[in-house]
Order: sequence, then C-alpha cells, then structure tokens
Amino acid sequence: MKFSCNWLRELVPGLDLGPRELARLITMKTAECEGVEPYAPWLDAVAAARVLSVEPIASSHNVKAVVDAGPEYGTRTVVCGAPNCRAGMLTAFVPPGVTVAGGKHIRSVVIQGVESQGMLASGAELGLNRDAEGILELAGAEPGERLPGCPVDHIIEVDNKSLTHRPDLWGHLGMAREVAAITALPLADPVREDLVPPGEPAWRVDIRDFDLCPRYSALVFENVTVGPSPLWLQARLEALGLNPISNIVDVTNYVMAELAEPMHAFDADLLHGNAIIVRRAGEGESFDALNGESYRLSPSNLVIADERGAVALAGIIGGAGSAIRETTTRIVLESANFEPACIRRTSAALKLRTDASMRFEKAQDPANTVRALARAVELFRIVSPGIRLVGGLVDSWRKAPPPPPIEMPLDWLEKRLGRSVEKAEVRRILESLSFGVEEPRPKVFLVSVPSWRATKDISIKEDLLEEVGRMVGYDTVPPVAPLLPARRPWVNEERLFHHAVRQMAAAQGFTEVSNYSFISEEMAQRFGYAPEEHLRVANPISSEQTLLRRSLLPGVHKNICDNARFFDEFRLFEIGGEIHKREGKELPREVPHLMAAVYARGGGREALFELKRLAECLMPGCEAKPAAARPYEHPARAAEIVWRGRTLGRLFELHPRLVEQGRASVLDVDLAEMFALGPLPKKYTPLRRFPVSEFDLSVVAGLRVHCAELAARIRDAAGALCERVQYLYSYQGKPLPEDRQSLTFRVTLGAPDHTLSSDEVSGVRSRIIAALETAGYAIRQ
Amino acid sequence: MLDSTLSDIESRALSAMEAASDAAALEQARVEFLGRKGALAQIGKDMGKLAPEERARIGRLLNEVKQKLEERFEQKKAWFEEQALAARLDAEWLDLTLPAPGARPGALHPLTQIQKELEDLFTSLGFAVVDGPEVETEWHNFDALNIPPAHPARDAQDTFWLENGLLLRTHTSPVQVRAMERFGAPLRIIAPGRVFRNEEVDASHEHTFYQLEGMMVDRDVSIGHMLYFMKALLEAIFRREVTVRLRPGFFPFVEPGFELDIRCLLCGGAGCPVCKQSGWVELLPCGLVHPNVLRAGGIDPEQWNGFAFGLGLTRLVMMRYAIDDIRLLQSGDLRFLQQF
Repeated sequence: MKFSCNWLRELVPGLDLGPRELARLITMKTAECEGVEPYAPWLDAVAAARVLSVEPIASSHNVKAVVDAGPEYGTRTVVCGAPNCRAGMLTAFVPPGVTVAGGKHIRSVVIQGVESQGMLASGAELGLNRDAEGILELAGAEPGERLPGCPVDHIIEVDNKSLTHRPDLWGHLGMAREVAAITALPLADPVREDLVPPGEPAWRVDIRDFDLCPRYSALVFENVTVGPSPLWLQARLEALGLNPISNIVDVTNYVMAELAEPMHAFDADLLHGNAIIVRRAGEGESFDALNGESYRLSPSNLVIADERGAVALAGIIGGAGSAIRETTTRIVLESANFEPACIRRTSAALKLRTDASMRFEKAQDPANTVRALARAVELFRIVSPGIRLVGGLVDSWRKAPPPPPIEMPLDWLEKRLGRSVEKAEVRRILESLSFGVEEPRPKVFLVSVPSWRATKDISIKEDLLEEVGRMVGYDTVPPVAPLLPARRPWVNEERLFHHAVRQMAAAQGFTEVSNYSFISEEMAQRFGYAPEEHLRVANPISSEQTLLRRSLLPGVHKNICDNARFFDEFRLFEIGGEIHKREGKELPREVPHLMAAVYARGGGREALFELKRLAECLMPGCEAKPAAARPYEHPARAAEIVWRGRTLGRLFELHPRLVEQGRASVLDVDLAEMFALGPLPKKYTPLRRFPVSEFDLSVVAGLRVHCAELAARIRDAAGALCERVQYLYSYQGKPLPEDRQSLTFRVTLGAPDHTLSSDEVSGVRSRIIAALETAGYAIRQ
Repeated sequence: MLDSTLSDIESRALSAMEAASDAAALEQARVEFLGRKGALAQIGKDMGKLAPEERARIGRLLNEVKQKLEERFEQKKAWFEEQALAARLDAEWLDLTLPAPGARPGALHPLTQIQKELEDLFTSLGFAVVDGPEVETEWHNFDALNIPPAHPARDAQDTFWLENGLLLRTHTSPVQVRAMERFGAPLRIIAPGRVFRNEEVDASHEHTFYQLEGMMVDRDVSIGHMLYFMKALLEAIFRREVTVRLRPGFFPFVEPGFELDIRCLLCGGAGCPVCKQSGWVELLPCGLVHPNVLRAGGIDPEQWNGFAFGLGLTRLVMMRYAIDDIRLLQSGDLRFLQQF
C-alpha cells in the first residue's frame, strides 16, 4: 500500500516531519514501511509556460515554438513534436539539465537546425498521468509558476502483510489518524456528511443475503459530464500507481485511496429497471467484467444485479455492460460493504485480485459507506460542474449492534507491558486513536472501539494493550528476567537419542545429509514402491514432488548418484521421517529412520562391513541375519539387522543396476524401535579369578555356510564352560577341495571357581568336534 | 717380574678391546684376558708361589687391573648395544606424513549443529525441547492458531495440501498447541523442525526449510520478560552483545505481535547493503500468545498468559556461514556438507 506524504500532510495539518522520519515512526508504531520514494522530483523545476508563437520546421512534423516561461526561465525557443502545440496555449516547460519520468534527461540541443532550449512536456513525460498524445494543457497559472496542484511528493510504501488486520489503513485517512496520534497533532476529517441529501431515494436496493452484504448504499446523479480529471487529481492517483481514467472513475478511486471504501459508478442508463439486487450468482452464470474477461460464476459468488442479470461482481470488479462511457449522463454510485471471506474466496477462485477485493477482504467498516458517498458528492461537484443529485440516499443496512466496550484494568496493562504508564497517557493514546474511554471504577478503563477498528481488529483487552504499547514505544520496555521456580524441564530423550546416533555416525566417518520429504512417482517405482501406498500431495509444485517418502532410500540413492560424480569413495547418512499413510483423515505414522550409505569404486565388500560396524556401534551385539533380497538389493548381499530379538533394519548392497559406477551399500535402521528398546542394560560380572583356557578349531564347510551358524553350533556344544567363541579367519585353497572353505575359531573356556583341568578342556573340545561332525562338518587337523 | 707381566696384560687387553670392532670381538678379548682361563686368571694361579707379602701386593694390583679392564669392557659393551639399538630403530624409520588409514570423521549438517546449539541453550534456560508431526491437521496448523478459514493470513503461507485434507505444516507454530495439550501450564518449550511452503525454489527460496518455535506460558508474563529471553537467545547465537528493537507486526496467533529487529552486526547501525541502509535487520516475529490460542490448547487465558516466537533456522545458518544459495542445504552435496 502506497501513501502520499502530501496527502497525509493535508489530513494532519501542522505535520512537518520529513518523509524518512515519518516512515520510521510509522514502522516503529504502526506498520512496516518498506521504502520511501520521491514522486516526480522534477516538478520542482517544471514551470507553466505560454506558447507565444509556433513556426513549422521544413520537412519535419516538429515545430519551433517560442514560449514565455516566466521571469526565472525567460523566453525560450523549443522544438516540439506535439500535435496540440499552438500559439496562446498554456503548457509545461522543462528547462535543460532536468531529468523527467523514465529517466529522460533534457538537454539544450540543436534539432533540425533549431536550438531547443528545453522541452514542452506531456502528462506522461512528467509522470502526472498516462497521456502521451500531446503536451499538457494547463489553466489557472501564470508563466513561470509551478504546475498548479502538482507539487513534488514522497511515497511511503507499507508492507501489505502488516496491514492484514487493519482495514482502516487501506486509506490515507486511517494512516493520517495514526500519524496524528503519533505526533499528537489534530486530524482533519475531509468528509462532510451533510452533503448526503435527505429524501426519497430514486433507486431501490434489494439485498437478498445480508450475511454476504451487510450494507449497500448508493446515490443517483444526473447531468454528468464525463471527461479527464483535473491534473491535480490525476497526479494524485498516478503517484499511488492508480491509472487515471475519467473524472467519474477517478473520484471513486480517490475516495477509495482516502477512506479505504471501494466504490463503483454505473451508467444508470445502461442498468435495466431502477433497482439494485444483491444476490448470489446462479450456477454457471456468466459475467463480463470491465477488464475484458468473462467469468463463469457459482452460488458462492455474490453479484450486484439489475433485473436482467449481473452488473458487477460484488466487491471485486464492475461489469463491462454498465461501465461509465464518454456519453454517460446519469450514474448510480455504489458504496457498499461485503463479507470479507466471500470476497476472498471469490477473488481466489477467479484469480482476480483488485484494489477493491484487497480492501474488502480485510473487513471494511459498514459505517463508512455513506461517508464515502458524501466525500464523492463534494469531489463530483468539482470535477463535473453542473452535476445534480437525484433523490435521497439509497441505503439498505442490517445494522449489527455495536460491540460491547472492553474492560481494561490499568494494573493488568502494566503487568503485560512490563513497565508503568501514566493513566492520563493511556487515555490520551486511546482517545487520539478515536477510542472512547471511561473509568467506571478506579484504575479500570472501559474502552469503546471506533467502528472502523471493530470489524475484525479489536475486540479484547490484549488488542488495546497493543494500541498503548506501540504508541508509548516498545523500545521503552526494559528486558527483565522473570522470577520462576527452578524446575528441570521435561527431557526429550528421543531427540537426544537421535543426536547421539548422529554423533556416532559422524564419528564413524559418515556425513549428514538432509533430503526432501517429497519424491516423484518415478522414484517410487524405481524401488518397487507402489505410488498408491504413499500419501499424495494435492497441489504439488512439480511432478518431482507428488508423493511423501515412505523410505529414505530414494533420496539417499540420489545423493549417492550425485556425489559419485565428484568422489571415488564417500560415506553419508540421513536421519529423517518415513511417512506411512493411514486410513482416512488420521495423521500418518512418521517413523524416524537412520539410513547410512557407503559408496566406493571397489568391490563393495568392505563397505558392507563398515556399515555393519556402524550398526554394532549403535546396537552392541546386533546380528546381520541373511534375508531374501528385495528388488533394489544385491540378490546375494542382503541381511536383516536383528538386535535383542527384534528386526530393526536392513543391511544390503544396492543392486548394481541402480549404481552406474562403483558399488553402494546401505544400512537402514528404524530409530523409533531402536529407541523403544532403550540402551542395553549394563550389568557388572566379577572378573575371573582363575585363568581361562583357549584352543583353536578349523572347521571345513561349504562355501556359503554362515560363520554365525558355525559359531552358534560351537557355543551350544561347548556348554556352560564356554566363555567366548571368536572367529579368527577363513581359508580357501589347497589342500581343500574347491567347494570347501575352512573357518578358524578360537574357543575360550573358564570356570568361576577353579582352574580347568586338561581333561575338562579336552572333554569340551571333543564334544564340539562331535557336534560339528554330526552336523556334517569336518575338522581340519 | 709379575708386575711387568700385569702391566703388559693390561696394555694388551686395553688395546684389544680398543681394537674390537663389534660385540663379538669385544667378547673374544674379554675371554682372552678376563675369562676363567684368561691371562689374568693365569696370574692368579701363579701368585700362589709368591711370598705372603708379595702375594698381597700383587693381589691388590691384580684386582685393580681386573676392575679397570672390566669397567672398560662394560663401557664398550654398552656402547655396542646402544649402537645396535640405534641401528635397529633407524631401520624402523616411518613416514608419518602418510595419511592415516580408515575413514575421515564425517560432518553433521549445519542445520543440525545450530539446532543442537539452540536446544542446549534453551534447555539451560528451563525450556523443554518438543517435537510435532510434519504432516498436520488444518486445525492445528491454522484454526487453533487463530487463523480461521478464509483469513487473509493464510495467503502468506502457501500450503502443501495432501489428498486426504491434511497438510504439510507451514510453520512450527502448531507445536505450540500440541505442547499445551500435552503439558498444560506453566510451560516453557521450544520446537525446532522442518516446515514446508508451496513455493518455487531458487537461490533464496525453498519449499522445505527449518524453524524454531518457542513458547512460554506462566502467570503475568510481560513483554519485558519476552525481551529478556530474546536478547539471551540472540547473544548466544551471535556470541556478542546485541541491540534489539521491537516494532508492531501482525501474526494472528499473538496479540500484541512484534517484529524483532537486531542492530546490524555488519555496520553497527550506520547502514549497509545487508541491512538495506536501515541499520536494522529483521530477525524474528514474536508476541504475547493470543488468548484464542491458549484456549485452543486447553489453557485458561484468564489464569495464564505467555509469549511465543519463531526463528528461521535456515536463515540463521545462511547468515552465520554467509551461504549464498539456500538450495545447497537440501542438496546432499558432500562438497558443501563436508565444510561444516
């Protein structure tokens, strides 16, 4: 939202702050100013000038004009190409050395043999309007004077987001009221409500849905002359970025910019009947808007209609069929109030945001409709002399009771603010913002809210706290530590556990990555996951992110492929949530997983054991149990990770088909389950007092016999004296047959109460050998 | 006569030991002169024939020579041993400039690091660290935070909707409500986590980023209390004293709501490109919790009140390390991640 400093100064007489200081104060006390830009600074140098004579220049459409530019600039010769340049006219002269709109720099130059000592300018060149057809036609000024009603201005741009809750700040009067309160200056209300005539209305209004349209007011005018607005009015709109169109339309925009009330003027002769109907649109009802577009409406949209059909989309845009024309002589001027959610929904559904819809969706003040009409009457009389009102005010209003006043204890205010404020100061602030203040009990204010703040913004005492707080200045509140009982906060063990897992993984050489929660259907399918098992995004940005991940693997796989371009070998891991959808509207299960990966150019064997070691660091004593490979896993290199009887994850090499070069292995662990198991309980066992005995055994077995299976057999056979069975190494080659390997284990035996005799040791050894031989394994002697 | 023999043995033995070029030659010399059948032993045998007085004198002399030779022998033996050790150790020369085997330590994601840092800070200030789901209900993400349907504030948060009417949380604020439901009042929590906005990605916009929500609910919590915690937070983050200012800001879940600015750390307030010449950098939104939000969390706003704030962790990481492209954080690019 753009604010003109000149306009604010008009509404706050006596305001003499510079634009930057004004912007700073607004930022600190009201809403965030994003910038201050000068508007048409060249106007300081532009003077009214009388064209004294015009001579054609041979073989050119340009003319040589001699102008009287007043005492300062004197009589100048300029070359002018405008078709309307003629002797006797009053226009705008720009002296050399001045830069005008669009960065156009004016110099003294010789054009077609004529020295041009400046420029005669159009409205567009001066940034006053968008008319570039000819040079300005001025009136009511002497040569040498600055352009009447067009002073240099500064525009303060305020962040719209910071005005979301303030319908009143979508017009200059609202901001002027803030500035007046900040500077303790009086506010000059530009509205003369007595301009709205009493009497029988000439038009009828029929509101069919008061929920969507709490109030509709209108006035009917005749003897209207449609033409360009005076320059000062055009300049004011242009400064705010509003396009000047015609005197009638410009006045509606001017009032909107001043009072935040969007208005619309209909050509009364293009309306059918003499009644305005406010109703929901019919299903599929079509509507041709002023912007040249055609819309298909539905009953969730509200329209302004005559007896034939929709003539405006309520609160958003007027219709093409009843718009103001050059020939318009009678108008119906609408000033209404609409329900914000309906406007917002319609505007969003039709992708049609207008200056009007932006304001109405902020909940405008129904009390403001007639004030806006009164202001328009005054301005119409200036821009369309001879205009006449027909009949009295058209007004239909389902009046809501005024909101009850808010009770605000002053001690409460001080406790919340964190500093004391004088009672008189609180009253002054509230009253300067037009609140009504009573003190029914000592130190308790009863505050009534002005209608323009009551629609949405202010209803509870916390809202008043903000009013007082921002005006006294939050920078006056000292930071103070609260006095609180010392209490140990609840400890988020699971989060600490995740941090510990991260630390461990990093210490083992793995670097943490963070992937998106989104995957594409194609990514899901590549790993054999059915897309329909995923939670689907209803409004994805792109096809790359239509599904929510049920596994970290697609993301980690992408990391592997991406990084393989830069590294021969790397380790990475992610801790993130798998999202598993549930029936209906129930929240999905978000299951934290650890996925670690090792990529190397070699054979991939070491990688798997590196990952197994990481698993063992996290889950001491966990086992890798051979498991049937999944489609994305290396068919002969896949295992389940089992810890304390629970399957917590998988260890596998990615199917080489999925990795272009090199090998990648992956460890995937369910951290929720791992956390639920808790850390391994720690128990002290007294140290052995008697020495242990050890012997080594080499077992000859088939090539795909698992080490863990042999170790378990040995342990079982060894019985109670077995302290440890440790795998040492394996061997393949002569003298063993080609389909045999030997695995060597070291068996450690011991007893808590004596040193084992050689008979005891050899007894155990024989038992182990017998058990292995029974199971079909030979012992290598 | 024996006198001259002794002195002759002594000088021969000394020169033999002197001439020994290795431990074996030295040992040979020892055997020859000091051994049981060596030259000195022979003198001992011959001494028996001498008169007692003479025997005592020669005996002393013999001992002196023997002691001297033994000392010399031990000295030289030790020298040879030292030489041998030195030679062996020298052969064990090792190039310590070789890289150590095994994997280098990995790195934690910079977001993890800053998150942990802030978790520790707030834990020390008595705040619990809580989590909430990333897939949220519309009620928790919007309605409970005083953002009813069709509220313009919903525009500011482009939402990823899911097929079943759920959504990806657009901020960490719904955890406020979940924490109130779970713990009741009084309450001090922070909730760091991943949030989502339906935005096109470029160097400064991401659809996935990280926030840290904070909330305190107690009796008579004031703006001054909030300022205290915000200052503590920022001084911990920037590790120096900071100047902050509060100005009005609109967020439906707080009333009053603020934008907290920090005096620009680069220019000290004089104005520079980072602070867009204003001397201040907008850092975090905060405010006193709106009574409707307390109610949604099952807390009586007449009894309790509090403050809440939201900190952009992604932005903080980018500020701290001067990272110029937000996409790097979710890229999984180890060339980037291994720098932290």
